[in-house]
Amino acid sequence: MVEQLVFYALSGILVFAGSMVVTVRNPIHAALFLVLSFFTTAGIWLLLDAEFLAMTLVLVYVGAVMVLFLFVIMMLDVNLVVLREGFSRYLPVGILIAVLLGLELSMVVGASQFGLDIVPAPAHHGAGYSNIEELGSVLYTVYVYPFEIASVLLLVAIVAAIALSLGEHRKNRKGQRPEEQVAVNRKDRVRLVQMAAERPDSDTP
Amino acid sequence: MIALSDFLILGAIMFCLGVAGIYINRKNLIILMMSLELMLLAVNINFVAFSHYLGDVAGQIFVFFILTVAAAEAAIGLAILVVLFRNRQTINVGELDSLKG
Amino acid sequence: MSLMLNDFLPAAPEIFLLSMACLILIVDVYVPERYRLVTYQLSQATLVVTAILVMFLYPTESVLTFSDSFVLDRMGSVLKVFVLLMTYFAFFYSKEYLRARNLFKGEFYLLGLFAVLGMMVLISGHSLLTLYLGLELLSLALYALVALHRDSTAATEAAMKYFILAALASGILLYGISLLYGATATLDISELHSAIGSEGEGRNIVLMLGLVFVVVGIAFKLGAVPFHMWVPDLYQGAPTPVTLFIGTAPKLAGFAMLMRFLVDGMGGLRGDWGDMLVLLAILSLAVGNVVAIAQTNLKRMLGYSTIAHMGYMFLGLIAGTAAGYAASMFYIIVYALMAMGSFGMIILLSRAGFESDRLDDFRGLNERSPWYAFLMLILMLSMAGLPPFLGFWAKWSVLRELVAVDMVWLAVVSVVFSLIGLFYYIRIVRLMYFEKPTDHSAVAAPGDMRVMISTNALAILALGLYPGALMAVCISAFAI
Repeated sequence: MVEQLVFYALSGILVFAGSMVVTVRNPIHAALFLVLSFFTTAGIWLLLDAEFLAMTLVLVYVGAVMVLFLFVIMMLDVNLVVLREGFSRYLPVGILIAVLLGLELSMVVGASQFGLDIVPAPAHHGAGYSNIEELGSVLYTVYVYPFEIASVLLLVAIVAAIALSLGEHRKNRKGQRPEEQVAVNRKDRVRLVQMAAERPDSDTP
Repeated sequence: MIALSDFLILGAIMFCLGVAGIYINRKNLIILMMSLELMLLAVNINFVAFSHYLGDVAGQIFVFFILTVAAAEAAIGLAILVVLFRNRQTINVGELDSLKG
Repeated sequence: MSLMLNDFLPAAPEIFLLSMACLILIVDVYVPERYRLVTYQLSQATLVVTAILVMFLYPTESVLTFSDSFVLDRMGSVLKVFVLLMTYFAFFYSKEYLRARNLFKGEFYLLGLFAVLGMMVLISGHSLLTLYLGLELLSLALYALVALHRDSTAATEAAMKYFILAALASGILLYGISLLYGATATLDISELHSAIGSEGEGRNIVLMLGLVFVVVGIAFKLGAVPFHMWVPDLYQGAPTPVTLFIGTAPKLAGFAMLMRFLVDGMGGLRGDWGDMLVLLAILSLAVGNVVAIAQTNLKRMLGYSTIAHMGYMFLGLIAGTAAGYAASMFYIIVYALMAMGSFGMIILLSRAGFESDRLDDFRGLNERSPWYAFLMLILMLSMAGLPPFLGFWAKWSVLRELVAVDMVWLAVVSVVFSLIGLFYYIRIVRLMYFEKPTDHSAVAAPGDMRVMISTNALAILALGLYPGALMAVCISAFAI
């Protein structure tokens, strides 16, 4: 019973946060609502005994991906007014699409196919169960091939992101050259200048 | 007890929010990309729920890989966005009109 | 469970390619700018050796490894060899273009190699997970390749549009996969097939919904109508060598993806996905051929022509027989060869500051260079499907398989659209031979490029005269 209450509360928050993501005016607010969605989803996954993925979702998504999003939003000088053009025009049709598609999908995956009487809820694992151990024991044996492909995928993402955002030919690139900073001498930076002493002129006050 | 269908309907609702978000925010690339993340989140909810109710760990493994791919995809997508912004000074899809025919 | 050395053998080409890509990544960092050619040469050598390894491992029966998530079979081996061949040509054609535009960077070849790895993983995928990862590896490398020309507004716009729609397609495909997993409790392609049953005994509404999402996702990725909006923009906006690469090798991987998901995995639902493909095929043929007529940009026109050719490729799958699949495979290989030559021609006629991608740029080509006009004539007539060129045999083989399963009406519809398509291919021929040139400069291209493109176009003529060998390879790929 408590579990059900928690589920419905979290689901309510998730649907609210999700609809705010797609409708709010400010991209930063949208990003923060998306963070809320991820936290709530992590809670829902805990109800499903997927502790490791719940933690990963918070760490990877909230910790890395959303920070990247916020970083980019703040880096770009976005004109909010222009971005809102056409929003109210598309909104009614958008809501219609969402409601119709949602009804259709819910009918298929609803209680008639996956209700409790058809797929009974499994018992929760005992205190000695470790989700990480279960995932880890297959991740590096049965799924070692996908695991390797995923590592290549991340390598490609690194190469691609660097190739797209870092360039040797950019003239205004700012950077440090530590070897030059260390090797600098006093005479490179400080210049002693001999000047005649200035005497206050009597004409100007 | 919570039925599997409840989780799946939640996933379906989130998926529809993602699709509708892409349709509504067709001019705002950043929110568009967030809508894509919502769609993937919906898929992940589906997989985790199936994995629990089927007693099969493969679904959770799949989610693990989707998270990896989505992080890589977001990195590349945002890199393209930054390059585009540098060229056009806009992230408005409506103004991406140099290609027409 | 432990892996033995024998378990790694079927994936030897992939392992070699990955090792070399990592090696080239390191070499590329340390070689000075003026020796950038080393990266190119190493990449080409890698492709050649990988292709030899694939041929060396050509199997007599399907071999599964890595807990059944990887399959080595004949269809996969044939497709991989052609993917590697196409990539070799694509790298070759792009060399001078990239040099002239200060884009000759190691990243182009590295991302290309990783894309090839993604295609090979996709072609050999035997579980929904590895198919998805192969597809994403391919897509991620392609997004970056399109945007690699960072100072070009058109290229970055094309990259953004491609990224958004391809990511949307991935989301839709994944939702479908999650439903398939929920309905059958397996990710393995063979187990999926047996859970559905060879005649679709296990058919239920969840499975059907999953199938719909999977077909829509794949149609998006292949650019079939009505999910084609990104194709023309991408073809026009991307730098020509990238368009050439995207327009050729990944199409072969796309065919493999269709085969793995629909035939190997959901063969029992053939009746259901057959109907969906009929719809996609007719729409693609109609929109591709009709809208192409209105184009003034050759790259954009070839984009619409790709859409139409995807429609023809579906026809063999719709027939649903082993001979039909072989015909589809023959079609897609032939199409990749022709697209390679056509985009290669655009690159050949271009120079720094002049892209040569408008139809007007081909005006009076015969006066400027009769030989290249002749090669372009071969390519365009072959694309249009006129005998005795290779394109004719490709169309003929898919239509024959359609007629063999009594779908004459669909064959007639596709012939009608071919006749409409004839118009815009012939228009280029007319421009080349019967109009006065606006630009009188001689064609300046290095010798090796001239030899390569002549080989490419003449191969289409020669294979058109003797199509038996290539067809036999495709048929033998489905013999086991």
